[in-house]
Amino acid sequence: MAVGKSPVRGWRSRLFAAGTCLFLGIFVGTALLFIAADILYVDKKAVMTVLTSGFIRQALWMSVWTSFTTTALALLFAVPMGYALSRYRFPGHLLADTIVDLPIVFPPLVAGLTLLVFFHQTAVGRWIERAGFEFAFQPRGIVLCQFVVSASFAIRSVKSAFDDVDRRLENVALTLGYTQWGSFFRVSLPLVRGGIIAGGALTLARAFGTFAPLLIFVGSFRGRTEVLPTTIFLEQSVGNLEVALAVALLLIGVATVCLVIMRLVGGRAVVQQ
Amino acid sequence: MISAKAIRFAVGDFRLGEISLELPLGEYFVILGSPGSGKSLFLECLCGLNRIDSGRIIIGGRDVTDLEPCDRGIGYVPQDYALFPHLSVAQNIGFGLRARGLPPAKISEKVGGAADQLGIGHLLDRWPSGLSGGEKQRVALARALVVDPKILLLDEPVSALDEALRAEVCLELKRVQRETGTTTIHVCHNFEETRIVADRVGLLRAGRLVQVGTPGELFDRPADTEAARFLRVGNVLSGEAERCDQLTRITLDGLSIYAVKPACGPVSFAIRADRVLVTFEPPATQSENCLEAQVVSVSPRDPYVRVEATVAPATHLVAFATLPMNRLALGSRVYVSFPASAVHILAGEGS
Repeated sequence: MAVGKSPVRGWRSRLFAAGTCLFLGIFVGTALLFIAADILYVDKKAVMTVLTSGFIRQALWMSVWTSFTTTALALLFAVPMGYALSRYRFPGHLLADTIVDLPIVFPPLVAGLTLLVFFHQTAVGRWIERAGFEFAFQPRGIVLCQFVVSASFAIRSVKSAFDDVDRRLENVALTLGYTQWGSFFRVSLPLVRGGIIAGGALTLARAFGTFAPLLIFVGSFRGRTEVLPTTIFLEQSVGNLEVALAVALLLIGVATVCLVIMRLVGGRAVVQQ
Repeated sequence: MISAKAIRFAVGDFRLGEISLELPLGEYFVILGSPGSGKSLFLECLCGLNRIDSGRIIIGGRDVTDLEPCDRGIGYVPQDYALFPHLSVAQNIGFGLRARGLPPAKISEKVGGAADQLGIGHLLDRWPSGLSGGEKQRVALARALVVDPKILLLDEPVSALDEALRAEVCLELKRVQRETGTTTIHVCHNFEETRIVADRVGLLRAGRLVQVGTPGELFDRPADTEAARFLRVGNVLSGEAERCDQLTRITLDGLSIYAVKPACGPVSFAIRADRVLVTFEPPATQSENCLEAQVVSVSPRDPYVRVEATVAPATHLVAFATLPMNRLALGSRVYVSFPASAVHILAGEGS
């Protein structure tokens, strides 16, 4: 049960391990039970609809590319931001650190409303749209919504990973002839690889399942701004509950495969370190 | 030559300096101080990891005060060695060479040479997590030395090792330094370690360099009472001094102790424990100071026996004796003697 070498275990240790694993079992078992309920409810016709529908295929593709784009963008921000938050103390550090966490705590619906208000009701937002960068009701708006609600997970995870890197390692690199850039790319960045992958996995999971802000900010236009979560909403709103659940199972399946792959890659990275 | 001129640095309430220091080429200099005295901070200032508030740092004839650490030409071994956990031993040692853009074959050759010099050639394919403390220390040293630094800065290089290993590793450090001729600054809080490696030593206290000299000079003539206690001279006492013939007579606790250095009035003085002779009979050779004493504590200190004996109701003397321990029973009567030249009157008191 324990990772690596384990100590001699008497009955008290076994009881302790059993107690902790009991909760894990209840949680995982319940989740599997819910998924099993969905599987039992879905009929063959609904599965065939999901497999043959062009719109659903398009929604799947839209979900996949927007989620991965969001994850890549989030990590692009998370790495320098995580480093800055971890290493530098500056006026407004506390405020910046708090703002990073805000999207985690406020309801996703609010993110959609906020974006809508920003782009339609503020001079800056209208100027951005007039400059040719339209987001509302556009596919790129999906990425923006997903980024707003999920980037914090990547930043937080990468920041924690940088916190764990001993600063003396960077100092030694500096004394050995590397500049701050060299020290960052040769020492700090390789050492936070596990944190980056974990942050990426969390971001991907969150982005893949984002729904509420999309409905407000980009709508759910078939073939244009439809992603799997909005497909589920559309199908169930017209009474196709079986199809909605079949799409949900597809979403769960794709998300699980992506997360497992990221965890395996991340696990290997950590083992290598 | 390495030169630190009037260095000042403050962090929070702690102030370092003003510190001035000149090291000739190839010297092994130890900065000795208790924890919190600012030793590591001073080293980080020399490295450029802390920007000094004022002063100049000259390394190899070049003013490096405003240069980044990467441009100073230093080798730095921090406490606990800070080996890169994501790199193998060979990659760790060759890390600085890659920064200099050397071709892989040259890196490999230099890494092999440095590893052989430190006896870690067999570890090159290993990872830092699997190394013992001593092996890590050698890898960190090889990593710092392989780039041919103008100065090697060692921050408590043996404090993370087992006590039994420290003396051995210190001898190894001294050997390597002698072979490479690299000017070295080593900070530590252990005088025994200092005696093994140092050509000269500077005593740092509360951010100030209070005394600089050879280890022998420091031990023989500590700057003040605090220095004498820190250096574990053995006996630090206080009394009233007056000139008497060619000597100074110090009276304390009903005793008279004679010193050479002229002094008058209240004084503190130190007597090295290894200069105090313990005998069962009055010593054959006449000594200016010979006192009857009663043994109150005996403990082995290979190759000596540490004896603490009371010479007056409130005065104990510590001596390193060569007598057999089984004959030094608690309460036994002995004679303790020491020449007047062994009595060092400490600065700051008396006139």
